[in-house]
Amino acid sequence: MCTYSSPNTLPRAIVHLNVADFAVAVERVVDSRLRRRPLIVAPQGAGRAAVYDMSEEAYGQGVRKGMLLNQALRRCRDAAVTPPHPERYEQAMADLFRRVRPYSPRIEITDHQGHLFVDLSGTSRLFGPPQDVAARLRKSIRNDLSLDPIWTLAANKLVAKVASRLVKPVGEYIVRPGEEAAFLAPLPLHLFPGIENTAHQRLAEFNLIRAGQVATLSPAQLEILCGRPSPDLLCAVRGIDPSPVRPLEQEPPVIRLDHNFAEDSNNPALLAGALYRLVEQAGTRLRKQGLAVRRIGLILDYSDGKRTERKAALRPPAADDRRLFQAAQVLLDRILTRRVRVRRLGLICDRPAPAQTQLELFDQPRAESRKQARLLTALDRIRERYGEGVLWLGRTERHIEVTKVVEHACSAVNYN
Amino acid sequence: MENSFKQTTSATGCLFVGTSGYSYTEWVEAGFYPAGTASRDMLPLYAKRFPVTELNYTWYQMPKAAAVERQRRQVPAGFRFTAKLTRTLTHEVDPRKWTAQAAEYREGVAPLRQSGQLAAVLVQLPPSFSRTPAHRAHLAALLEELADLPLAVEFRHRSWADDRVFAELERRRITLVNVDVPALPHLFPALDVVTNPDLCYIRFHGRNAQGWRSGNLQLQFDYNYSEEQLAEWVRDKIIAMARRSKQGLLFFNNHVRAQATENAQQMVRLLQQQGLMVNKV
Repeated sequence: MCTYSSPNTLPRAIVHLNVADFAVAVERVVDSRLRRRPLIVAPQGAGRAAVYDMSEEAYGQGVRKGMLLNQALRRCRDAAVTPPHPERYEQAMADLFRRVRPYSPRIEITDHQGHLFVDLSGTSRLFGPPQDVAARLRKSIRNDLSLDPIWTLAANKLVAKVASRLVKPVGEYIVRPGEEAAFLAPLPLHLFPGIENTAHQRLAEFNLIRAGQVATLSPAQLEILCGRPSPDLLCAVRGIDPSPVRPLEQEPPVIRLDHNFAEDSNNPALLAGALYRLVEQAGTRLRKQGLAVRRIGLILDYSDGKRTERKAALRPPAADDRRLFQAAQVLLDRILTRRVRVRRLGLICDRPAPAQTQLELFDQPRAESRKQARLLTALDRIRERYGEGVLWLGRTERHIEVTKVVEHACSAVNYN
Repeated sequence: MENSFKQTTSATGCLFVGTSGYSYTEWVEAGFYPAGTASRDMLPLYAKRFPVTELNYTWYQMPKAAAVERQRRQVPAGFRFTAKLTRTLTHEVDPRKWTAQAAEYREGVAPLRQSGQLAAVLVQLPPSFSRTPAHRAHLAALLEELADLPLAVEFRHRSWADDRVFAELERRRITLVNVDVPALPHLFPALDVVTNPDLCYIRFHGRNAQGWRSGNLQLQFDYNYSEEQLAEWVRDKIIAMARRSKQGLLFFNNHVRAQATENAQQMVRLLQQQGLMVNKV
C-alpha cells in the first residue's frame, strides 16, 4: 500500500536488466547477417501480419509494434523481415536467468521480453557493491550470450525501470538512494509504467506532463483531475514503490489472452462475442488452478495503430464467467470511445487470490450462484475432456474459428 | 623498484586522506556509520570524519551535473572529491564516440570544478592496457582531450613503469597515481614518483594476492594493513613525495568490513607523528 512518502525500511538495491528490442537482439545472435539491415520481426505469409518487434533503426523510420507489416515495410523499405520464434526468446530468457541466479535468490522475470529485476539488497558482503555486480552481469551476458543489456540500479523496481526507459536502447543508470524524487521530477510521464492513457490525457489537458508537476499535487487534487482516486500514480511520480522483487516460484499467474479480428470491426455484438470468448477461456484456466482474480484489464488496438487500455478491481475476486464478463463489458463500454474499427482485443486477469469458497448470505442469490457454479463445472469438465471448441455459447460462435490465443504462462518455463 | 626519474622538489605539501567510495552498507555493520544509517545519509556522516573521497560510481555511469551538484551540497565547502573517469573512456572505448563522451564527462563534473571541490579526475586504466603503440596513442589523445581537468593517471600494467612515461606526464603536469598492490606479475609496482608539483596521489588497494584476480571486489579488496606496513610507506615514500608536491591525496580502497576507514585513520595519525601537514575535517 502506497502511503505517499518513502517507507522507513531497510535500503534496497534493485537492479533492472533489460535487453532492448529483445526479439530482434535474439534473432541477430542466431543470424548475424541480420545485423546489417533494419530488422522487423513479424509473421510472414499472412495477409494481415502485425509487427511483433523491430530494431532501433526500423523504429527510427516509424515502424511500431502491432503495425501491419505492409505498412511497416512502406515506412522502412530496406528492412529484413524474420518470423517470431517464441521458443528462442524463452531459451534466451532462461540463459539470462542462469547468469543472474548466483547473485540473488530474488529474481523477477516480468514479461519474458528481456526484463529481469534482481534484488541485491544485503548481498554486498558476498559479492561487492551492487553497481559492480550489475556491471559484471552485463559483461558476462555480453560475452556469453552476445546480448547487451541495459542495467540500472535504484532503491525500488519502479525507479529502476524508469531509468532503463530513459537510457534505452543501451546504457546504464544509477539512481542513488534518496535521489529518487529529484531524478524523476523532470521526466515525462510516458516513461512511467502503468499509467493509463486516460490519466495521461487528463493530466495533459492541464499541462501536467512531467512527474515533478504531478508529484506536488495532493491526493484529493489528483482525484479531481483523474476522475477517481489514483494513489498508485501519486506514489509512482514520487518514486515510491514498496513492491518486492518476486522470485520466480512466487510469480503470480497472469492470464493474457488476445483476439485478433479477421476483419477490423466496431460492431458491438462482434466485440462482445469475442470478449465473452476470451472471458470463457480465462475463467476455465482460473477455475482449473483453483484461483480467482482481483483485477481484470482490457486492451483495444484500433485499426490506426492507437491503443487504449483500462483495468478494474474485482471485489470480491472472481473466477466465474458471468462476473468476469460483466466487469469486462463495463471496461469495454468505457474504453470504446472512438469510431475507429478495432483490430485486436486483449484481456488480462491478474492479482490472483484463492477461489472464494464462502457461500452467499441470502438464499436466493445462493441458489442462483450454486446453479451457475454447477453449470460452469459441467462446461469445464466437458471442455477438458473433449476440447475447448466442442461447446460454446451462441454469442461466441462466430469467433471460434478465428480466435488466436496467445497466453503468457510465466511459470511454465523451466529455468533450472 | 628503483627508478632514475629526476624529480623536482617544493615546499612540503598538505595531505588529504580518505577512502575510495563512502557508500557501503556493510560499513554500518562494521560500525563506521551509526546503526540504521540509510545510504542517502552516508556522505554527510563521512564528511565529518574525512576531508576527501573518491567517487567510484562515475566509473560505471557518466556523471550527471544535477546529481553531482546535489551530492556536493551535502558536504562542507572544504570537502574535496576525486571522480573516476567513466569506463567508456578507459576500459570499453568506442573510437567513434569517446570524444563526445569526454565532453559529456566534463559537463557532468562541472559543478565540482566550479565550486573548487574537484581535487582530481582519476584516469584508471585496465590491467590489459599495456604499453602498446595503439594504447599510447589513445592515452595521449585522451589526456589531450581532458587537458584542462586535474588529471591523475593510474596504470595497472607494469609496462608503463618507465622513465619516459613519467617524463611525459611531468611535461603535461599530469599526476601519476602511485599504488600499493599485491606483488603479482604484470601489476604496476609501488613507486614514489611525483610527476606533478601541484598534486601527488597514492591509492592503497590492499595486498590480497589470492583474491586479486577473483573478479569479486569483496575478495580483491579484503585486506587490513598493519601499522608497520603503513609506517613503512610514510617513512620510505610519503615524506619525500610530500616535499615534492603542494598537495597529496591518499586513498584506501580496501573497503571490505570498513578496513579502509581504519587504515585511513591510522595513516592520519602516522603522518601527524612525522610532522606532516594533514588536512583534517
